[in-house]
Amino acid sequence: MGGDSSSEEVGLDLLQQLELILEHDKLIDEVGFVHPDQFPALNEGPSSSLSPVCILGQSAADILNKDTVELHVVQYDEKVFWNKDHKLAISILVLPQLYNAALNAYMDANRRYKQSIRSQINKGSFDDANCGCDFDQFLESEVLKHTRALLILSYDFKSAWNSRKLVLSRKQELSLFVDEFQLSALILSYAPKSEGAWSHRQWTVKMIAEKVHDLQELVKKESELVKNIAEKSKMNYRAWNHRCWLVLYMTESQVLDELNMSRKWAELHVADNCCFHYRRRLMLRILSNGDVKEGGEKPFNYNSNVYAVWKELQWNKLLIQRYIGREALWIHRRFLSQCWIKHFANNQKSSSPHIEATGLDDFLGEEFELMNACLNTQTDDELDDYQSQAKHAVSYILWISKQIPSCSEVKLQERLKEAVNFEDLFMKYPERLMLWKKVLV
Amino acid sequence: MDELESDKHVKYILSIEKKKDDVEALLMEHLRINGAYWGLTTLDILHKISAVDPEEVISWVMKCYHEDCGGFGGNIGHDPHLLYTLSAVQILALFDRIDVLDAEKVSIYVAGLQNEDGSFSGDMWGEIDTRFSYCAICCLSILHCLNKINVEKAVNYIVSCKNLDGGFGCTPGGESHAGQIFCCIGALAITGSLHHVDRDLLGWWLCERQCKNGGLNGRPEKDADVCYSWWVLSSLIMIDRVHWIDKDKLTRFILNCQDKENGGISDKPNYAVDVFHTYFGVAGLSLMEYPGLKSIDPAYALPVDVADW
Repeated sequence: MGGDSSSEEVGLDLLQQLELILEHDKLIDEVGFVHPDQFPALNEGPSSSLSPVCILGQSAADILNKDTVELHVVQYDEKVFWNKDHKLAISILVLPQLYNAALNAYMDANRRYKQSIRSQINKGSFDDANCGCDFDQFLESEVLKHTRALLILSYDFKSAWNSRKLVLSRKQELSLFVDEFQLSALILSYAPKSEGAWSHRQWTVKMIAEKVHDLQELVKKESELVKNIAEKSKMNYRAWNHRCWLVLYMTESQVLDELNMSRKWAELHVADNCCFHYRRRLMLRILSNGDVKEGGEKPFNYNSNVYAVWKELQWNKLLIQRYIGREALWIHRRFLSQCWIKHFANNQKSSSPHIEATGLDDFLGEEFELMNACLNTQTDDELDDYQSQAKHAVSYILWISKQIPSCSEVKLQERLKEAVNFEDLFMKYPERLMLWKKVLV
Repeated sequence: MDELESDKHVKYILSIEKKKDDVEALLMEHLRINGAYWGLTTLDILHKISAVDPEEVISWVMKCYHEDCGGFGGNIGHDPHLLYTLSAVQILALFDRIDVLDAEKVSIYVAGLQNEDGSFSGDMWGEIDTRFSYCAICCLSILHCLNKINVEKAVNYIVSCKNLDGGFGCTPGGESHAGQIFCCIGALAITGSLHHVDRDLLGWWLCERQCKNGGLNGRPEKDADVCYSWWVLSSLIMIDRVHWIDKDKLTRFILNCQDKENGGISDKPNYAVDVFHTYFGVAGLSLMEYPGLKSIDPAYALPVDVADW
């Protein structure tokens, strides 16, 4: 890495300032990388009450230059950092220096820490609690301090996350895990797709799950975090994947709660396929339990499953009619119909007083009517959304025709060919031409 | 129609190496070996791998090697991981220099990351993902060491990540994603297990990724992005359904994402270029048999003359 020694010294000073800020304002919940010209504007923000923080170490105080401000507590270069109300801004102009300093400090601390572990192993004293001497603790806190700074600058730096895992897995202190949640949440606040941060959170949950049996509260909080991040970061695959993964740890009643709570969110974000997939994940968990516990008294039983899928189908139809041309809604309907056909259609014994059509023919008839209604709402001005709606509706019926016995498939497609002019559709949607030609029997 | 600016892309790739101190470059340091693989493979597809000194590349790659465990890090001094180990092995394969490796040791590292249920952890810290199954299987296959793992279990795990829409996710129950689908289909293709796939159902999902502008997206409701020209297209080829999309429109979309002045390809028209999208754009064109390009193997993600050992 380039850079002369004076630039390295400046970098080191800045790193120390950053680490002090992080150490003394442990509640920082937002970081931004901005041009220093923007700092004054930050001061004029709506909440600019001064709130900092504690005492600066003596040695670092000596080296700070005249640009340094002293707020009765922490000192830092005001042209480089801005820290108020638990928000931190870092000047983009110093990032290379700061990064290199953090990298070198981390690499050095990590090397010494691993050396110390090796020498303990060689002495055969790995498990000896007395040996966790001051030096070892010093190195651990050095590793934690430098990785925190480095990861804030370069959040997918895998080795740095790993070093934190190493420290934590050797210490096995539950209280330390709180810091991991906080650091990863901080990073996710400005890098909501950070693989490193999500993966580290998953690892932390797994570690806690090894020690604590009741994970309900933790799972609930994790799920809420995803919800909040998904609000700002649309279709965030990593975030929703975390939530899908959490389903493994949910109790049955939590699964039902999540299904209820995510409904409203989905209604407000009808184009977010991730949320609908999450609902599919939850529903499949319910359905799979239903298979085992058919007739049982648990919340997941056969009749309530039938009702749950039927209710979701009705709700989805409403959304399709209200929000025109949303692919995610049609994809969700494919899943629901597939479930309905597989689990319940033709199964008269499952009929519930709330549900009208249970047989396959009745069901397909209703779906066909839905498609027809969507085609007929098409207006002359051929708005994009209406065009998409027609495309998704036809695609949906074709797709469903492949999920049913071939005698029903032929019947359904014949009806479809009578209802729509495929030559017309091929012209309108050339990107679907090959597929549709292929699937039409 | 636009043409592929091959010479400019070559220049662009060679220039990245020289810009090591940019913030962007610094923040990519931890996965430099992936970047090297993308850049070098692109050069090879463009018939220009001779522009780099093999010895220099190989000696750098070997500095990322961890002799104690047999894995590779993303850069010198970085922890080993399957993602980086595969890139290292692929780079060595590009130069036909697998012989510099202790293949036995590397394959023991990879095989050691297989879990009881057949899945693979990315490294000793235990994150599981079908991406890592692909890395392991592709890597072991290049090293002729697939016998070191339980292939049947590995395949069953991948199959357990299949969704009702025919696609695949990271873990069982994960949302279908074109990148994950490539990994799963690639791994199944290499192990001769594509009979587990409903080709029509998956082909349907994949070809619905084609947007009006001709580009491909990675999931429903997303915008088209050049990288899916690789993930979706290679999967469609492996399951023999590539004729279900409009290749001319896709070709135009990729060519439209070129920086015609300085070289490089971006994710969307008029966005900033990067080596990742340059690779996927050129590789996508190669899959569509664009004239003048070497053909690339859809499963191994290496030029066919390399993969055909």
